[in-house]
Amino acid sequence: MTKEDAQGSTAEETQSKKGLKKQQKEAEKAAKKAEKQAKLAADQQGTEEDDFSKDQYGIAAMVQSQQKLDRELVRVQDLTPEMADKVIWLRARVHTSRAKGKQCFLVLRQQQFNVQALVAVGDRASKQMVKFAANINKESIVDVEATLRKVEQKIESCTQQEVELHVEKIFVISQAEARLPLQLEDASRPEGEGDEDGRATVNQDTRLDNRVIDLRTTTSQAIFRLQAGVCMLFRETLTKKDFVEIQTPKIISAASEGGANVFTVSYFKTSAYLAQSPQLYKQMCICADFDKVFCVGPVFRAEDSNTHRHLTEFVGLDIEMAFNYHYHEVIDSITDTMVQIFKGLRDRFQTEIQTVSKQYPSEPFKFLEPTLRLEYTEGVAMLRQAGVEMGDEDDLSTPNEKLLGRLVKEKYDTDFYVLDKYPLSVRPFYTMPDPSNPKYSNSYDMFMRGEEILSGAQRVHDPQLLTERAIHHEIDLEKIKAYIDSFRFGAPPHGGGGIGLERVCMLYLGLHNIRQTSMFPRDPKRLTP
Amino acid sequence: MSMYQVKPIYEGGTKIDLPTCMYKLPNVHEQRASSCFSEHAHQNGEPDSAVRALEARQDEIMRKLFELKAAVDGLAKTVATPDADLDLTVSCSLASPSPTACTFTGTADLDTLLGKDLGALRDIVINANPAQPPLTLLVLHGLLCQRYRVLSAVHVHSSVSGVPPQLLSCLGARLTDGSARNLFQLGFTLIWKDVPKLQMKFSVRNMCPVEGEANVARFLFRLLSPDPSDVGQATLVDSWVDTAFFQLAEGGAKEQAAALRSLNAALGRQPWLTGPELSLADIACYCCAVRSGAAAAAPTHVQRWMKACENLGYFSRAQLQ
Repeated sequence: MTKEDAQGSTAEETQSKKGLKKQQKEAEKAAKKAEKQAKLAADQQGTEEDDFSKDQYGIAAMVQSQQKLDRELVRVQDLTPEMADKVIWLRARVHTSRAKGKQCFLVLRQQQFNVQALVAVGDRASKQMVKFAANINKESIVDVEATLRKVEQKIESCTQQEVELHVEKIFVISQAEARLPLQLEDASRPEGEGDEDGRATVNQDTRLDNRVIDLRTTTSQAIFRLQAGVCMLFRETLTKKDFVEIQTPKIISAASEGGANVFTVSYFKTSAYLAQSPQLYKQMCICADFDKVFCVGPVFRAEDSNTHRHLTEFVGLDIEMAFNYHYHEVIDSITDTMVQIFKGLRDRFQTEIQTVSKQYPSEPFKFLEPTLRLEYTEGVAMLRQAGVEMGDEDDLSTPNEKLLGRLVKEKYDTDFYVLDKYPLSVRPFYTMPDPSNPKYSNSYDMFMRGEEILSGAQRVHDPQLLTERAIHHEIDLEKIKAYIDSFRFGAPPHGGGGIGLERVCMLYLGLHNIRQTSMFPRDPKRLTP
Repeated sequence: MSMYQVKPIYEGGTKIDLPTCMYKLPNVHEQRASSCFSEHAHQNGEPDSAVRALEARQDEIMRKLFELKAAVDGLAKTVATPDADLDLTVSCSLASPSPTACTFTGTADLDTLLGKDLGALRDIVINANPAQPPLTLLVLHGLLCQRYRVLSAVHVHSSVSGVPPQLLSCLGARLTDGSARNLFQLGFTLIWKDVPKLQMKFSVRNMCPVEGEANVARFLFRLLSPDPSDVGQATLVDSWVDTAFFQLAEGGAKEQAAALRSLNAALGRQPWLTGPELSLADIACYCCAVRSGAAAAAPTHVQRWMKACENLGYFSRAQLQ
């Protein structure tokens, strides 16, 4: 009993002790609050009292195009030591701000470039101005007049390392809300680093839900600049090769490759489909004597697959060309285009590639010129040697594709290769059979880092054979009548293929998810933003 | 040897009654012309190098003629029957290497040399730095092409740029594209790449990459002719190959001069470095001498030997630089 009593009393004592502490703390808090308020009041008074730089900061009136100022805004990337000691204007976002006594350091960001700016109390700036600068919400857009000064020590955290800005005027053009749904620093932290330090990282879904903010990170900026580069190089190379760019309808009356995986849209009193590929139209253009065509545009797949490399809408880069005698002319043309793209990226987008690799490290992309071409049977033999059991005419499963990619990389040290002569049974009906072995076909896939990016073939240009193949695949001839008919009046032998832009970017940069290279990705579970 | 055969003037079969009172001698006329030649060679102790060189050249001409004939046959077939498969004709022209066409004799069975066939091309991948073209391997490639159906390809790796055009075409013209890859016995893929040391990758699953031009050359030469059965001879060849790459090609002026002197001494005794037959030692030494530019100031025997090498025809690939 006594023991229990004793325990009880000690418990009470501790409780009362705790209570005391609590009270004390609360009292302290209240005191602090009062002090703060007093200080704030004093500050406000101070503001009212003397603020000699009142006109040098503030929230600017909404830009409604009232006036046309003759003021040149310098770009952040142009801020170099050569421009030192000049007074300049620039418009940028407030990336971070850090107040420290009489100084306030800001990092001003413009796209993927940033520079350090300093507001310090002195004869030009008042205490109030420094305070105002420190209180600007992150991501607000500001106009700044400042003197550019060289720094003695390099500023490691900024892209403009050799200069800083001494701010003289600062105006908020557009104010951001105080609370951001995600922090840019968290979103641009290198992979794996956050986990170790226990710091926050942003997961994919949060990023995509707030895509506009996520796209502001230097990594996203670099990814999409590089993606634009891929498109540009694709057009540039093909135009040089005398290709013609065509535009094809995306609302079509019949599915090109079976009805299961197309989107149906209601079209007045009937229904229509969203195009899975511009396949049929490319071929019709060939029959209409365009010889060499390409097409950049959206492609739709209604496949309910939630993988790292499938989207329901993506940008297709499609090529189709007539050839003289052998479909390898087409392969050579396509692989050369790809090599030109890789070379162009390597030579012209080095900064972007490095920016991305800072957050998502990966080995640089390697390729051979001319591109390595292996045959399907060789690929199967390599896989069998590695212990994979598969039949001669089996299609490559995704893990096997990846394994083969690794084997090829090990032997030839290339991330890009062509696999030729696929078994006929795993290809669509319009694929031309191999003349020497009817089990195989004149079709090919291209791989980047062991994942398929292009699938193509020589097409059947003979209406009779095409009908036979369609019947063999049990396709309703009525539905593809227009397609078959287009070959009746003389059709040159031709071949081609289609590449997914997002996949090329993803695999070139060694990223892990296709949503990272799609600006506003669409998949079975995501329709917004 | 078929060039030397002539119709016998005398019918060897006719029996002539000879008196038996004296000792017996074999009939000279019963011997064939060819065996006569080899007997002649044996009588001299060793075959004349000039005759051998002549033989080799004639073999080369014969081989070329055979190839030409096959190619023309194939072409005639395509012209006569337009439906005929092009791949087939290529395979025909390639599938007819006559046994006399080859300089090196030995078991031609790649299955025993390289392990069992898996139904795919056996591709030898060589990564070489364009700053140092592997002349020896180019010569050996030429020899391999005489022996096997070789699919050769030259690639440029993304780690280098601006490879000179003569290096891109150093394995000869690209074969008419479109021929199926599995019709070939051997693949020879040369990749110009930024590597510190030449590298060969063959069977990545059970072979580590082979480094160094000398070692790759040894590997390739064994596909052409088996190691000499005599261990001493084999070691001699190996030692000459080392001399070639470490002293002739990479050594200083002094080392080069010393190597040339020992070459000269060896060549004074015999037509080729390791005896009566051309071996890897000759190929390696010749290529390294050409590369290092030591050929100009070479002693007499070396000069003669280099001439002999050049006469063989397939060393022309080494004149790349």
